[in-house]
Amino acid sequence: MVLINLWKESGKFKLGMVITLFLLVAAALNQVLLRWAVGPDVDPMTAGSFGIFLDPQRDHLLGTDRFGRDVFSLVVIALPVSLTVAFLAGAMSTAIGVVMGFFSGFVGGLTDSILRTFTDMFIVIPTLPLIIILAANTRNLGSVKLALFLAAFSWPAAARVIRSQVLSLRERPYIELSRMTNLSNREIIVGDILPNMAPYVAIGFAQASVGSAFALVGLTVLGIGPSGQMDLGRIISEALGYGVISLGKEWIFIAPVALLILLFLGLALISQGMEEFFNPRLRTQT
Amino acid sequence: MSTQLPATTLETIATDASDQPGDRRFLRNNPMVGYYSRRLGLYLITLWGSLTATFFFFRFLPGDPISGIIAQLQTRGQYSNLEQSDAMIEHYRREFGLDGSMWEQYQRYFERIVLHFDFGPSVLSYPTPATDLIVRAIPWTLGLIGVATLLGWFIGVIAGTLVAWKRDTRIAEWITNVCLVLSHIPAYFVALVLIIFLAYRFNLLPANGAYNTTLQPSWSLDFIFSVIKYGTLPVLATVIGAVANWLIGTRALVVSILGEDFLTYANAKGLSPRRILMSYVLRNAWLPQIAALGLALGSVVSGNVLIERLFRYPGVGNLLVDSVVIKDVNTAMAVVAMLIFLVLTINLIIDLCLPLFDPRVKTSKS
Amino acid sequence: MATVTGGIDTRQSGASTFAGRSAVAPLLQIQDLDVHFKTPRGIARVVDGANLTVNHSEIIGIAGESGSGKTTLVEAILQIIRFTNRITNGKVLFSPDGVQQIDLMKLAPKDMRRFRGKDIAYVPQGSMNSLNPVARVGDQIVDGMVDHGVPARAAKSKVPELLDRVGLESRVSQLYPHELSGGMKQRVIIAIAIAMDPKLIVADEPTTALDVNVQRRILEALQRLRDELQIAILIVSHDLPVHAQLADRIGIMYAGQIVETGDIRSTLKTPMHPYADGLMKAIPSIGGNRVRLEGIRGATPSPLSWPSGCRFHNRCPYVMEVCQTTPPLLAEVQAGDREVLGEVIAVRDGRRVACHLYPESTPGESQ
Repeated sequence: MVLINLWKESGKFKLGMVITLFLLVAAALNQVLLRWAVGPDVDPMTAGSFGIFLDPQRDHLLGTDRFGRDVFSLVVIALPVSLTVAFLAGAMSTAIGVVMGFFSGFVGGLTDSILRTFTDMFIVIPTLPLIIILAANTRNLGSVKLALFLAAFSWPAAARVIRSQVLSLRERPYIELSRMTNLSNREIIVGDILPNMAPYVAIGFAQASVGSAFALVGLTVLGIGPSGQMDLGRIISEALGYGVISLGKEWIFIAPVALLILLFLGLALISQGMEEFFNPRLRTQT
Repeated sequence: MSTQLPATTLETIATDASDQPGDRRFLRNNPMVGYYSRRLGLYLITLWGSLTATFFFFRFLPGDPISGIIAQLQTRGQYSNLEQSDAMIEHYRREFGLDGSMWEQYQRYFERIVLHFDFGPSVLSYPTPATDLIVRAIPWTLGLIGVATLLGWFIGVIAGTLVAWKRDTRIAEWITNVCLVLSHIPAYFVALVLIIFLAYRFNLLPANGAYNTTLQPSWSLDFIFSVIKYGTLPVLATVIGAVANWLIGTRALVVSILGEDFLTYANAKGLSPRRILMSYVLRNAWLPQIAALGLALGSVVSGNVLIERLFRYPGVGNLLVDSVVIKDVNTAMAVVAMLIFLVLTINLIIDLCLPLFDPRVKTSKS
Repeated sequence: MATVTGGIDTRQSGASTFAGRSAVAPLLQIQDLDVHFKTPRGIARVVDGANLTVNHSEIIGIAGESGSGKTTLVEAILQIIRFTNRITNGKVLFSPDGVQQIDLMKLAPKDMRRFRGKDIAYVPQGSMNSLNPVARVGDQIVDGMVDHGVPARAAKSKVPELLDRVGLESRVSQLYPHELSGGMKQRVIIAIAIAMDPKLIVADEPTTALDVNVQRRILEALQRLRDELQIAILIVSHDLPVHAQLADRIGIMYAGQIVETGDIRSTLKTPMHPYADGLMKAIPSIGGNRVRLEGIRGATPSPLSWPSGCRFHNRCPYVMEVCQTTPPLLAEVQAGDREVLGEVIAVRDGRRVACHLYPESTPGESQ
């Protein structure tokens, strides 16, 4: 299968997958890790469970924060939240992008020009300020709504990739052949175009997820995140709000920062590995 | 005796203005006019579209703006009277441009912006107009973004070219890998690391504000020096990521240029490596990178908002966050409109100037 | 025309730095050239044991299908092979003065650069993309000269004369490459090639992708260069009519090796190597008797795995047992009347072939 070849041939893809899978597994096992860290009865978000600002030690691998909460367990339950929003936003973003890009590329003509201009506008304009405003003004900002906001501004990237792929596919000889044999448009789309788009949709998803994760970090470090839940960015923002740097307690946000960087790296490696594999012209070796 | 071959087949792509009506002749001889007018038209339409979208975006935010505004004004000590009489509400409605139908509001909004750059009074420091707040903050943002982006672009493009030129050496590979990793780390995180080490642990540079607050803003050497000192960390945080990104992008571009036929031919001509690097490689690489700079502006601005917040730098990014938190619609709207205008205009300038440098775009008779 | 007496062109050890022989050293002598590329799928022996001689002031054509290694051969002469992961063997002996032979394979890049563009000029395949798109044509003619030591002013003043030689107006020098047609670009390339009075011009498919009229003009221009300036031209083309029109001698390349060389007339009319014979038979001729067109059966082998023995043996209608095991050597065939591929013809001087049908080619057999 293609996936196995991809795994074997692309070091980048392999490394990216390993990193991302590590994060996903850690997130999935969050309850288990939680039990292991603080025992079954403790809600990590409850203040006063432990002493304040304890240094990292055996019982508290990452110490405790301003409210006496065990930082390790906070990170453990924050990870799945961040991942969920990022991937959800990535999925929605890809879905919108695929529809727009496909429509634009397949229909062509004036529709294409208009849609393309529209898409380019989104890319040029700084979208984070808009997301900030939107999110800050929404009450009860749940993960799903947040993901929707993020997706609303990051779909153009996926749309562009899909559109150019559709355009090149449209002119390929086997499409001409299908046209000549009188297959309907729908049959051409489903039978010939879609299967060839699959890898690019996957690449688009990886890139959209990274973009959403970036925007998510931007929002959450400002304190605007999914309400009621702890996410990685919120740990950072709260820590900064309580001046942990000047107190010398920076370890509190080292773990969230490291995990987020791993997320960016992992997804970027996956998308780059896939791009190089499916588009050999991009390979950087001679 | 010269070997004169008949030159009857001198084919150029310039057309002869034979029997064409006057207008078309002008357009034919000056194809650039068409390009310029189309680009300008696109700019105006996009600008209008964005400003309109901004207006409706803010109007459709959940919540009633007026009560929020009045509540804010009260907490800021403007009024001790807690009741909101109808007259007061109407007064504020008018002041903040919230009276009349949506269509009337829109018309008024547009008129005010285009003719007077007036976004109405702010809430942050009522009754100071929002525009004034922005004017005060913009120089800081422009300075920060300007310096960081230009530095990052220059260093990144030149370094990227050199790294691609010498891509078989170990140093080049090492640099590329380091930059690859760096390019995925948001400037915000880099800033955190810098703050921890340079500002606090080793106390080398300040991490708060734009200048030493004991000084008065002026053109004195002391003040300028202070501005530079306070600006170093924010700029550094942005520049590191920018250099990494431009290096990688330029490297990829140059590697593809190196594979082009005209490079092989330049080599076959026995040209010196220096000339090949300067006249054949760099000259073909810098133009696309300028266009890329325009496109990157959007994310530069976005990232800058976070940096300003972290360093409490008094630019428009910081202003935006402050205004959003207290629901100061006018100021927030003004910042957004200003940022969009800035990005669109810079892109326009780049698109209009590029043809002047790229001979391929000029198809007129020379 | 001075030619080196052939002898058996095989593993000649120790190329002479001084011409110990009485004759003038040939302008270019390729001896047992190997260019092997290390690819993920194995070693591609693109050029494998090629031998060729180019004499001063002659036009020699190299004919062969795509995949025969002709372009790599050309790149090897100029030392501009792009693929970096490679192994090379053999010698490329260049002798501009006819006395001293310099092995280009052993030169440091800095020294090779002195020859490139000056003594050996290059006319590449597909001149569509060979000019720098952001520099004016005139500047591109001048920069090569300047980098070889000509003062800028002198170089610039030579431009109109060079353009005139190839039939272009002097105002072309102010234009950018995209403003020129394909034929004009090709002529600019030729102007650049002759700018420093080279001894050898190496042209790779100089007329492909041009229409017939422009093709003819380019070929005429090249011929005039040899006639008037005594420049030797090595022209690579898969198009036999081009060689028929222009070349004095021709070399046929197959599977990374030269399998036959000789003067153009007799080689085209009465080829000796079965592959060359197949090539000639595949070309229709306008006028003359109606002959049946025949193709060569089988497919071109891949450089990843050449056939054993004679590389053509699995497609050859005259194959013998020895062909499968022993590689034939490119050897000079004795002049005189001789049976060649079923016909008795008069074999002229200087024809060489690598085929066991001719005992000179089989190692161990005395001629």
